[in-house]
Amino acid sequence: MLHIKVTDRESISNKRSVMTLIVSLIAGMTAMGLIFLMSGANPFYAIFKIFSGSFGSRYGMMETITKAIPLILIGAGLAIAYRAKFWNIGAEGQLLAGAIAGTWVGLNWGPHLPSYLIVPLMFIFGFAGGAFWGAIPAVLKIRYSVNEVISTLMLNYICAEILMFLIVGPWKGKTKFGYPYTDDLPASAILSTITGTRIHYVTLLLGIITVIILGIVIYKTRFGYEVRVIGENTHAARYAGINFFKATVIIMVISGGVAGMAGIGEVAGLHHYLLYPGSVSSGYGFTAIIVAWLAKLNPFFVILSGLFFAGILVGGDAIQISLGLPAATVQVFNGTLLVFLIMGDYFLKNKITLKWAKG
Amino acid sequence: MRIFGHLMVVLAILLFGAGCEKDKSSEKLKAGFIYVGPVGDYGFSHAHDVGRKFAMEKLPWLETTFIESVAESDSARIIDRLVQEQKMDVVFTASFGYMDDTVKASKKYPNQKFMHCSGFKQTENMGTYFADLYQMYYLNGLMAGALTKTDKIGYVAAFPIPELIRHIDAFALGIKAANPKAKLHVRWIYAWYGPDKAKEAAESLIAEGADTLAFTEDTPAVIEVGQAHTEKGKQIYTFSHYSPMQAYGKDSVVSGQLVDWGGMYVKVLQDIKDGTWKNEDMWWLAEQKAAILGGSFDETINAKFVDELKAYKINTKDFGSISAFDLVEKRYAQMKEGVEVFDPFTGPIADNKGKIRIPAGSKASKGDLLSMMYYVDGVEGDIPK
Repeated sequence: MLHIKVTDRESISNKRSVMTLIVSLIAGMTAMGLIFLMSGANPFYAIFKIFSGSFGSRYGMMETITKAIPLILIGAGLAIAYRAKFWNIGAEGQLLAGAIAGTWVGLNWGPHLPSYLIVPLMFIFGFAGGAFWGAIPAVLKIRYSVNEVISTLMLNYICAEILMFLIVGPWKGKTKFGYPYTDDLPASAILSTITGTRIHYVTLLLGIITVIILGIVIYKTRFGYEVRVIGENTHAARYAGINFFKATVIIMVISGGVAGMAGIGEVAGLHHYLLYPGSVSSGYGFTAIIVAWLAKLNPFFVILSGLFFAGILVGGDAIQISLGLPAATVQVFNGTLLVFLIMGDYFLKNKITLKWAKG
Repeated sequence: MRIFGHLMVVLAILLFGAGCEKDKSSEKLKAGFIYVGPVGDYGFSHAHDVGRKFAMEKLPWLETTFIESVAESDSARIIDRLVQEQKMDVVFTASFGYMDDTVKASKKYPNQKFMHCSGFKQTENMGTYFADLYQMYYLNGLMAGALTKTDKIGYVAAFPIPELIRHIDAFALGIKAANPKAKLHVRWIYAWYGPDKAKEAAESLIAEGADTLAFTEDTPAVIEVGQAHTEKGKQIYTFSHYSPMQAYGKDSVVSGQLVDWGGMYVKVLQDIKDGTWKNEDMWWLAEQKAAILGGSFDETINAKFVDELKAYKINTKDFGSISAFDLVEKRYAQMKEGVEVFDPFTGPIADNKGKIRIPAGSKASKGDLLSMMYYVDGVEGDIPK
């Protein structure tokens, strides 16, 4: 009979950690290859097309960077939440909350203020909006023991419905022929882009700065230490005198706040007005979960994994065009990779021994 | 030597053949299509893709590429890809939300042609096209008014935008022409695709006494509700929307509106090929056979309801007393002749507050139709603000 024994690994070397990551990615791609094969596409060609479509040309590269902006911001925020084992599935809603708050500022104050005032104000309000939406589940968890997976997930839908209500109701634009969009942001509130591309560099810079700050916070500050302790062992954290309530709320203010900045960045940089929730974000709040995991919850690596997943999203168009695969293929690809990354994590943390024994 | 000679001949043929093929391929016209939804559903994008395939069949020199489920926010990127990477000669952007990105792209690529569906902005190298179904809604309204027993008719609607208001109003005008006592009740679900919400809205309308339902939503959900009630012994009349949905409600679907984008795509592409393309605003109706009456392409009116419609008499100015069935046929024929012969939006038309919106003797202009934001007499309630 086969005996399976699972034990904790005492220590995890960097080399083992990197190897696990590579093996998980290869295993994920192989699984995806089988799916391509089943839908009648050559798996090597399909995977080649995805990456050549996103990294293989100037056009693809620029679009990949554009898509990576919200993923990097949100991914860095999620990394800190997940380090504290706070399972924030609500980045999508936090992004929308930021988009709502920032757009309100842009629409109402934009006409009266110059760019150098209105743009920072929009990002501050965007951060505040996302932070508020992120703090709710933190308070619910600590005060009332509400499971944060449920509350953050459900708050996504609530925020999407609020946005819907605003654009079909009180905020509906006068210049939009009755369509459910707000009016365009005034020119001073619109972020400029690198010429010939759609890269709104202000948000990109904010993303990189966020990554650096969060990296320093996690690895170099007392608060970062607290976050890690909370994540490792809640009891130890309590004995060590860490203020649980305060720490959790701060973590979620940061995590939600940066998602909110991503939200207003998308509106002010790309759309220029508020529109359907599914169009404001195209699911960045969910994709960023995988981005954070692939980066091993290290904010610096989020830049790389953000670019990687942005590339898959952009390359997804290419396989639609060249192979005629349905649009949902890309989501299947992302989901498959996440499953394998999480499995890899399990094998990294646990030692599995197989033994044949009689009887 | 002889072998060498043969080889030369073979080589020449090969080269010539290859040359011919190159000539042919350079004559190809490449068209890219951007859809807002998946092509597999029963809605708007599906109908466009049927049109694309029709054009592919008709035009041997045509090469097409399409991308589905493109969020409005992503359209600029996809247009760039079709132009820069795929070298398309013309790009069709088939959703209202792509309008501004298409305008921007037309300025960025002045040598490229663009056609945007359902918008109102044109540039030198960008035209617009749309197939509108308001006439079919009017004909559906005639049948709804004739069939209802409770004088309460329901409409499950997606978003309060002029296009839907126009369709609701046309439907209500048809109802009024057939049965002035009947009232139209509207439920907004705020989704283009929302079978759960549509089902709920349909059930609530039926619970409040409506026995006839029309809708604007991309699935046959409302029809399935109608069919389920009909099977349980309570006849609910429904009207199919946009795609042939009669199969989902054989005992419930009376008729419906169908769209055919194929003819439009063939015309646009042929014009581009011939060099006669202009940046015009194409607005196709029953006359151009873009709007078709029926719940399926084989049957204009479900045979099950024909007798009932033939038995119901309507008084009209031009035809005197006439059965609902005959009136539908006559009006449909008039619409096919052109809007000059018959148009539902011919005055006097009052809104549901009693204010005259289209005076007697005049017709709604296209601008009026595109910005219609009032309910005509016969619709209950107010448009959500």
